[in-house]
Amino acid sequence: MNKDDNTKRRDEILEILIIDDNEQITKMLTTFLELKEHRCTVVNDGKEGLAIVKKNRHDVVLLDLAMPEFDGYSVIKDLEENNMLKNHKIIVFTASTITQEELDDLLKRGVASYILKPIDIDVLLAKILDTANL
Amino acid sequence: MTLTERIGEEMFQTENPIHELNRMLVRYDLTPNQAKVYLFLSKIGVKTASEISKALKIPRTETYHLLSTLQQKGIIFSVFGKPTKFNAVGLEESLEILINNEKNRINELELGKISLIKLWNIIPKNEESEDESQNNKFQSLQGRNSILIKLEQMVKESKESILVLGTNADFKRFYFTEFIELLNNTKSELRILTDHSSDKPHIFESILPKKVKKIDDKNREDFCFIIKDDSEVIFFISDNKVKEMLAVWTDSKAFVITLRSLFSLMWKKSHHVNETDTESLLGSEITYKHRLREIEQEKRILNYLQEHFQVLENTRDKN
Repeated sequence: MNKDDNTKRRDEILEILIIDDNEQITKMLTTFLELKEHRCTVVNDGKEGLAIVKKNRHDVVLLDLAMPEFDGYSVIKDLEENNMLKNHKIIVFTASTITQEELDDLLKRGVASYILKPIDIDVLLAKILDTANL
Repeated sequence: MTLTERIGEEMFQTENPIHELNRMLVRYDLTPNQAKVYLFLSKIGVKTASEISKALKIPRTETYHLLSTLQQKGIIFSVFGKPTKFNAVGLEESLEILINNEKNRINELELGKISLIKLWNIIPKNEESEDESQNNKFQSLQGRNSILIKLEQMVKESKESILVLGTNADFKRFYFTEFIELLNNTKSELRILTDHSSDKPHIFESILPKKVKKIDDKNREDFCFIIKDDSEVIFFISDNKVKEMLAVWTDSKAFVITLRSLFSLMWKKSHHVNETDTESLLGSEITYKHRLREIEQEKRILNYLQEHFQVLENTRDKN
């Protein structure tokens, strides 16, 4: 077998961590992902999210960049400083105005992928599955 | 009654200025009787212990003790002869000596502190009692000064965050104290939720506006607290109308987390002091576009869910 232990088959149930301060989106997204039989953990705060990422292993982490107090950039920076960024499959999930250059930089540093809001829900799921299978 | 005895009696009557001097010398680490003996010798000049004892109506044994202590302090000296006589150093010089004695004592205490801590650290800890006392300590703080000392200590020691909730009236008692300056200089993340009126001076007006938010009047309750690093809190339990300030300090995790959650909820709902309701709703151009994208994303997920549940219901109806 070529793939490492973190790699999931496309029909496998995924453990997904969603870190986003928008409670409406996290609620709806959880309902959607659970309909697709995946398991979600939701945190609406960057600091709390970082603590969970450090403690547990999820198949995919959906991370919003623009959050009050402790934002997604701070989460990435902290993980990077602790050499933990590449241990997690983090998808930056953002509605922020962000340049391609900035996105490329995030990928270079160890972020697995990115999703720019708004995105069609089927495309979003495909992206999550693709990242889990990286 | 001899002349010396009469002078001794009259010297310390309440209307005599020496009585006030006696009271003031006590602040320089002298007991009332030590001050009395010193002032008596300063005014009268050389006297024997027995003459001093009779004039001031202090028992002879105690007088010897007093003289010995004053000699050790360096503000009286003995004159050779039999019987031994005593005289006092001038007042100005004596005050200088007493102040220096106090300074030396403080220096010794400072030096002693290091050795004391070293010694304390080599004594093995009792693990069981340590665990019990690690959290859930409650300390009642009474009076402005004891509260202020604790507040200043919390701000000084803070490494992560300081969250302040309270009105101008709650904190006005700390005007012109180091507390506000410490808040201004803290390296920790500072957030203040307070009432605000642009026409009245406010205790937090020197703090950067982005760190201060207005408490929404609809959510205003009469409580006031300060949280340090999500690990300690001071909770004021008396309102600003009561003369004596009362507060409780605790490191109880449950207590701190509860108040932290309350603070976060209120912070989220509140606006910055220089922001109108419309400005806070629209924000900058970037925030506006960001919000539109978020709303569009919500719409797309919601549409999917709506369609999905419609299909489910239709299937259920057909069955």
